[in-house]
Amino acid sequence: MAEAKKKDNFVRNLIVVSVVVIVAFTGIYKVSSNKKVNANAAIPKAASASEGYGLVYNPSAKVKIDIFEDFQCPICQTFEGINNKYINDLVKSGKAKVVFHPMTFIGPESILAANMSACAADSGKFLEAHANIYANQPSKENSGTMTNNYLFLLGTSVGITDSSFSKCVNEGKYADWTKLVEADAAKRGVNATPTVFVNGKELDRNTQYMDPEKFKKAMTDAGVK
Amino acid sequence: MKVLAEALTNILVPLGFIFLLVSLKKKSLQPIATLFFRIIVGGVLLTAGYLKAGNNAEARMAVQAYKILPNTLAANLGYALPWIEIAVGILILLGAFVKYSGLVAALLMAIFVIAISQAWARGLSIDCGCFGGGGKVAAGQTKYLQEIARDTGLMALGIYLFRNPRGILGLDK
Repeated sequence: MAEAKKKDNFVRNLIVVSVVVIVAFTGIYKVSSNKKVNANAAIPKAASASEGYGLVYNPSAKVKIDIFEDFQCPICQTFEGINNKYINDLVKSGKAKVVFHPMTFIGPESILAANMSACAADSGKFLEAHANIYANQPSKENSGTMTNNYLFLLGTSVGITDSSFSKCVNEGKYADWTKLVEADAAKRGVNATPTVFVNGKELDRNTQYMDPEKFKKAMTDAGVK
Repeated sequence: MKVLAEALTNILVPLGFIFLLVSLKKKSLQPIATLFFRIIVGGVLLTAGYLKAGNNAEARMAVQAYKILPNTLAANLGYALPWIEIAVGILILLGAFVKYSGLVAALLMAIFVIAISQAWARGLSIDCGCFGGGGKVAAGQTKYLQEIARDTGLMALGIYLFRNPRGILGLDK
């Protein structure tokens, strides 16, 4: 009887250990392969490792604005509609250092879009492409609408003519770079999009994001002239 | 998927809780109660873990949104938690070490209840991220009471499993 009991537990224990080991290894493998970045990952020209691999404009301006967003995020589209003109102004006039961090947590089509925006940045048309992606954001996430071809056409329609653009988009040249952007966002604890930091301080989500006057005021208070 | 899993859980947990109250009165129901609760607790954990396991970034954002732990620690917890839930869920479903896997499930739920409560008390506006998603939501869209009630129910079922691990079907002999 005692013998039989021991045997039964042996089978159970074997199964328990197998389950735990298999789940643990699968988890470690999945998480690490998902985070792993190719050592020779291509980095967009405008990106800077010291700025969390974000796309940097006006690096010497005094006031720094970090914008974390996901091209598939509907609230980012709203935010974009409200503040885009002003932010583009800051970039073009050189009044502030603006760092764009395209995040990709919503899924595969976010990676495609972020990649395209980086390709556009290489062609000097980031702001235009950025606005055009939001203007044509599909109503459903990862629905198969936002393909490389879709994104390529969004790029050419804002005047990107470089021959390298097509290759950059279709080959997902900067797909690995998006992992670097995410790794930095994880370090900084960015847990929502859009997230905006002005000189390292996050804006107040309840008041300053969606009100263009308050958004502007936050920038001028931080020293934007 | 997230919505479906959440809705199903919101039905199963109250049913389980009612059955828990009945089986505390009527002791002869214990073996079937243990099996029923194993299916609920194990199934919920496995589903919740599975739904979160595919998206590292979203999982770490959900944990960071609670603003309890330092960023890096919270991120790592976010990466690991789905897999812990999957392992514990499978063990409970299989009926292996139900005494301890039930206890671990109850402890996990206790931690979740504390985490959600503090988010509520501090006035954060977040989704619990229990079945994926998570992170900040608009101020009027929080569901703290529902989330806390659900996890408390699951905790009660987990404690029952800890105290009554022997049921029908299962690897424990």
